[in-house]
Amino acid sequence: MLFFSFFKTLVDHEVTVELKNDIQIRGTLKSVDQFLNIKLDDIQVLEELKYPHLSSVKNVFIRGSVVRYVHLPAASVDTALLEDATRREAASQAAKPR
Amino acid sequence: MSFFGFDTTLPKDRGHPLAAPGFGQVQDPFAHLSQGANNEHDDAIDFDDTYDGLGDHLDEAGDDFNDDTFGGGPGANRQTVGKDFDFFGRTAEVSDAIEEEQLRYSRAHDLKGTSLGRNQVAPARTGYEKYQALEHVSDLQVDQNLWGEPEPQYQQPVPARKMMSLDEVEALMKSQKKHAIPVNQQQVVSREPTRTTSGYSSDTPYPDRSTAPLSQIPSQGMYNQHVSVELPATLPIGSQSHQHHPQHPAIFQGPDHQALPPGLASSQRSIAQQPSSHRMSGQQMPLNPQQMLQISEAGREEFLKEEAKRAKRNHKIMLLSKDNGLMTPQDKNFITRMQLQQLMAASGSANDQDPDATLSEDFYYQVHRMIRGGPRTNPQQPLSHFAQTYLFQTGSRHNNRKANRGADNHLQRMEQQVQRAVEAAKAKPKNKQLVIEGSLGKISFGNSKTPKPLLNIKRPDHAETVSRSRGAHKEINTNSRRAILKDIESIYSSLMKIEDEARKEPPLPTGAASEPGIVEQHMAWRSGMQALNEKLWSALKVLEPIDPTSSVPHPFIAMLSFSKGKKVIPRVFRHMSSEQRVTILTMIVIHLDVLDVVRLGQLQPGETHLPTASREAIDLFSAAVTPSLFGYVSEAPLYNIMGLLGLILDRVHVQASAKTRIGLSILTMLTSRAILIRETGATDDGEWQQWTQLYNRLFDVLEPVLSQIFPGSFNSGEDVYVWQFLAAMGSGASPEQQQRLVIAVKDRVMETVTQSKTLPPDMAAQRLGNVNLFMRAIGLDVELLG
Repeated sequence: MLFFSFFKTLVDHEVTVELKNDIQIRGTLKSVDQFLNIKLDDIQVLEELKYPHLSSVKNVFIRGSVVRYVHLPAASVDTALLEDATRREAASQAAKPR
Repeated sequence: MSFFGFDTTLPKDRGHPLAAPGFGQVQDPFAHLSQGANNEHDDAIDFDDTYDGLGDHLDEAGDDFNDDTFGGGPGANRQTVGKDFDFFGRTAEVSDAIEEEQLRYSRAHDLKGTSLGRNQVAPARTGYEKYQALEHVSDLQVDQNLWGEPEPQYQQPVPARKMMSLDEVEALMKSQKKHAIPVNQQQVVSREPTRTTSGYSSDTPYPDRSTAPLSQIPSQGMYNQHVSVELPATLPIGSQSHQHHPQHPAIFQGPDHQALPPGLASSQRSIAQQPSSHRMSGQQMPLNPQQMLQISEAGREEFLKEEAKRAKRNHKIMLLSKDNGLMTPQDKNFITRMQLQQLMAASGSANDQDPDATLSEDFYYQVHRMIRGGPRTNPQQPLSHFAQTYLFQTGSRHNNRKANRGADNHLQRMEQQVQRAVEAAKAKPKNKQLVIEGSLGKISFGNSKTPKPLLNIKRPDHAETVSRSRGAHKEINTNSRRAILKDIESIYSSLMKIEDEARKEPPLPTGAASEPGIVEQHMAWRSGMQALNEKLWSALKVLEPIDPTSSVPHPFIAMLSFSKGKKVIPRVFRHMSSEQRVTILTMIVIHLDVLDVVRLGQLQPGETHLPTASREAIDLFSAAVTPSLFGYVSEAPLYNIMGLLGLILDRVHVQASAKTRIGLSILTMLTSRAILIRETGATDDGEWQQWTQLYNRLFDVLEPVLSQIFPGSFNSGEDVYVWQFLAAMGSGASPEQQQRLVIAVKDRVMETVTQSKTLPPDMAAQRLGNVNLFMRAIGLDVELLG
């Protein structure tokens, strides 16, 4: 749930999503769910000349499994807190009996 | 083109005839008005009104070649071949020939059962023999006279009436009032006995037909033909006198129910409305024909309207109901639970009963929202400050948030509703694997929280792991990077535990009135905190013995060389007692020249700038660690300061440390604190004497390197800490020492002043201000140098 928790804080921030088919989409993160499906608004495709079919698309829903990277706005990431959250996640994972 | 003069348009092109019954028929709600206006005439049928005139639209052209086709020439027996050519009769004439041909064929092919074939043909003819003899086909044109007789049982379709405009309706209503009154009286008289004698019981629909209003009779047939077939017999002959009345707009529009006495009309309406009240249950059966007869025309209309609606609705239900029973109630419950859980997860709901669980599940989001939810004055806030915010607000904000949740009330209600479902799901032990009997494999499930494990590696027992790692720990070089990182992580884990515990601090017992339970609770919390604190303290490894001969640094100092080790200091300090703090400070001060920020903070020969990595490390140290240390030093008594300075002078390479930013700032910290204590007069002279001795030692050690403590170039503008140090030194110095100070840094001062003249005014002012820190400390000013 760490990533879900993390991405929820980025709602309404501008992110760039890089898909596994190399398309990069920049837009405002509108919503994310536990599968890390992503909803973007006001999107803009980087290298628009290469993907003209996406030039008229205004918003997208991206299935989480096709995302390769999400480029984050560094200013809105609290690294210290994220470190702690990661530690907690790791601790709870370790504590969980398998 | 029409071949036989028929209308060649296909039925679908023609559309549904407006006059025909069915859905296409437009119901005219005002029809009864016009009917009422002509009430006294509507007991007869006017052909002109009932004939739809379709015949007039027949295409009579295009039959020019009919004669060629059917053998009729101009003037030839036109009487025999008309438009109504008798195909059957003509074919029957040649049927013998056809038959002979057939027999000949069957014989030629020597078919079996020829006699049978013959028998088959023979009966086909029976019944039609009379046509054979028919030489003359009579003209089947419809005799117009036939239609002279009113035949209400063969209903002419209601002519398509044009809908009346509002004006027309009003006019009709007005005229109707004039007409209606006398008619009413007439009808009441004729009806009265009927009602009083037998009422409207179902077994005697119209006990006295002759007294029933004539106008109703034809209209009954409109809806129920088989009933009305017998009615013409009862029609009075007199009705014929009206049959050709030209100004009948509509005959079959039903009688005017408004013309009836109000009481009667309402009772009839109530019958008609009964079905509508039952309609919702969908169990209303259509009235049987006899019941239908009892209801007045208007009531029936209404009823039929309702009936049509009901039928439509039932049809819809029928269409939808084909999927009924597809899911069992259990299935539905399952789906609902899934949806609700999804909703819970999506809304990031705080499980109000267990905020800790939520916090651990969704830690980053929850805390981030608490921190960033509030106004943040400066986005460039240093991390330490930031972490402070995070800790201080965690407890209080959490409670506020609960109180402020009135806005999303519906969500809350939903959550409450969901909670039971979720808890039930949690309580149930999850079977992660399904082994279907007889199958070789097993199906494992996963959900978002516990994904399906792709690898199933058996973990060794926990105890075993611990013992092994401990054994390994001894073997591994304690200074190895991995070991240090692990040590830091253990600090963090105990730190987080202590922070969690601190958040749960029970309310302080207030005075004598406090309950014993609260006190007990508080005591328990205290002891818990104490235990955690000890754990943290041991994790810090501050008290590990110092081995001066060892080449490896002390574990605590080694931890400080990592950025996350530096970052943890401010958080640790918050939970440290005063003694623990001074111990940490002492450890740092003793190892001042071993600290990475001091070791790597000196400019190597030929370097003008520090490497980026060490610069970042220094920035982080001064942002994270120094403030914590300073926080302690600024409250420390003089003897502590003296002790620390003594340690530095005894055990640390002061000259090397002074060439670094961190080393110098720690020296500044100590000296300035001593001077502050002196100024507040909180010291006695004996102590001050000791301090002056220490100060003199420091001065003597540093004097030779005073010109070298400045960082690289002038232009960097990073030398403010040096001027701060010089100012601290200068303010504590004797006049003779001040002289020596000025001589040592004179070149730098002059250089800075001349340099600043070439700079933009604001930068120049900043540089001169830095220099002035020192100059003012010794009672001078850069203006004097001008």
